Amino acid sequence: MIQFNSAYLTRKDKKIFDNFNLSIKKNEKILIQGKSGIGKTTFFKVLLGFESLDKGRATFNGWGISKGHIKDIRGSIFYLSQDIDLKNELVRNLLEEIREHNPASLLHKDLQKKMAFLELSIKILDQNVKELSGGERQRLGLLIGFLLDRPVWLLDEPTSALDDPMKKKIADFIAGRDRTIVIISHDEVWKQHPDIKIERWV
Amino acid sequence: MGAQDLGLFSLALLFIFLLPILYINHRLRLAINKTLAISVVRMCVQLGFVGIYLEFLFKFNSPFLNAAYLLIMISIACQSILRSSNLKLKKLFFPVFLSLLIPFVVVLFFFNAVVVNIDNLFEAKYLIPIGGMLLGNCLRSIIVGLNRFYSGIKKNEKVYLYSISLFNSHIQALKPYFKDAFLSAITPTMASMATIGLVALPGMMTGQILGGSIPMVAIKYQIAIMLSIFYTEYFSTILSVIFSLRVGFNEFDVLNPDIFISTQK
Repeated sequence: MIQFNSAYLTRKDKKIFDNFNLSIKKNEKILIQGKSGIGKTTFFKVLLGFESLDKGRATFNGWGISKGHIKDIRGSIFYLSQDIDLKNELVRNLLEEIREHNPASLLHKDLQKKMAFLELSIKILDQNVKELSGGERQRLGLLIGFLLDRPVWLLDEPTSALDDPMKKKIADFIAGRDRTIVIISHDEVWKQHPDIKIERWV
Repeated sequence: MGAQDLGLFSLALLFIFLLPILYINHRLRLAINKTLAISVVRMCVQLGFVGIYLEFLFKFNSPFLNAAYLLIMISIACQSILRSSNLKLKKLFFPVFLSLLIPFVVVLFFFNAVVVNIDNLFEAKYLIPIGGMLLGNCLRSIIVGLNRFYSGIKKNEKVYLYSISLFNSHIQALKPYFKDAFLSAITPTMASMATIGLVALPGMMTGQILGGSIPMVAIKYQIAIMLSIFYTEYFSTILSVIFSLRVGFNEFDVLNPDIFISTQK
């Protein structure tokens, strides 16, 4: 599903990828570990076309990351960024806007059930994104991911702002999905999970 | 008919008031005397030149010359737009040039042909001053529009990229920045339409009345020109953003950092 072959990328004189190779199969669940600055987030950004490799080849579902395929690729990836960079808007309107542009998604179906699972109050629908707490914002990000249900999930520190029972609940749920899922996290819950393969970058 | 000519000597007398101003500035240690002197001298020299070549243009009144003059004015306008908006001249000149030219030509010729109803559309007396007013006012709105659009995206680049990943649509991700930029670009003209005449008479009306027009004629012209300014501004601001997109973003819709003059790395 995801393949990097002899990838090279240098940013600001810092070698981020130096002959980097990786292959992720369909429906695999991978936890990427490694110290910060090693290029974990950059790996996600290359797949999304936000950064480009200097040399080497990255493919997604057999497609090169190119102008012709970028819409298909982005449409197949749910990305949860570390800071959950949602634009500031009424949550209800934001969800509606996402639904409009993702006609095939499950958005709004099971909304209440999924919100209850994430222990999000219905009241946040009438709040602005900026007014939410860090934990609420993280769960809203996950909610959007669950509702979009795209084939590949790239999750950058998805549980950092949550309490332990919540981390566990979410890790169990995500590990059980029939989706290709790549997680960057320092949280123990992911490491201990039997269905998640650990990829250590040094 | 026409305004009484000013004697050069009597015009020069008006400069007497600069003396106490220079003195007060000096005493208050305002340190603006040099700037003030340069500004006054520049004004006189520039207007002197304008006087000379306008006389020249009016005398020949050649459609070709007049059109060439307008094209040069648009080019200079483009240059000053890009300089004030911190964007690279080389990359954005052509898109901004087109976005000024298209609404400008349409509105200007409509004005001359339909509103004023003159036979020679290239008549210097109408083409040049009215063209100048339209351009002068468009400058501000395009500067504000482009500036806010690109600096807004640059400042919120992470949010912008995240919107692309959620909506999978470049246009949708751009919308909030466009909306903000466009509103700040055209709101001032709407506000000035709402208050015009309450406080001061616009310069053009003053000129026409001094030139011998009756007030009602001057007012009709003023309304026509305000509307024309607004239309030109409106469309050239929209077009400047649309035409700049191809240069402003790369093939993956990521903001192109080298359109800014000072890239902070």
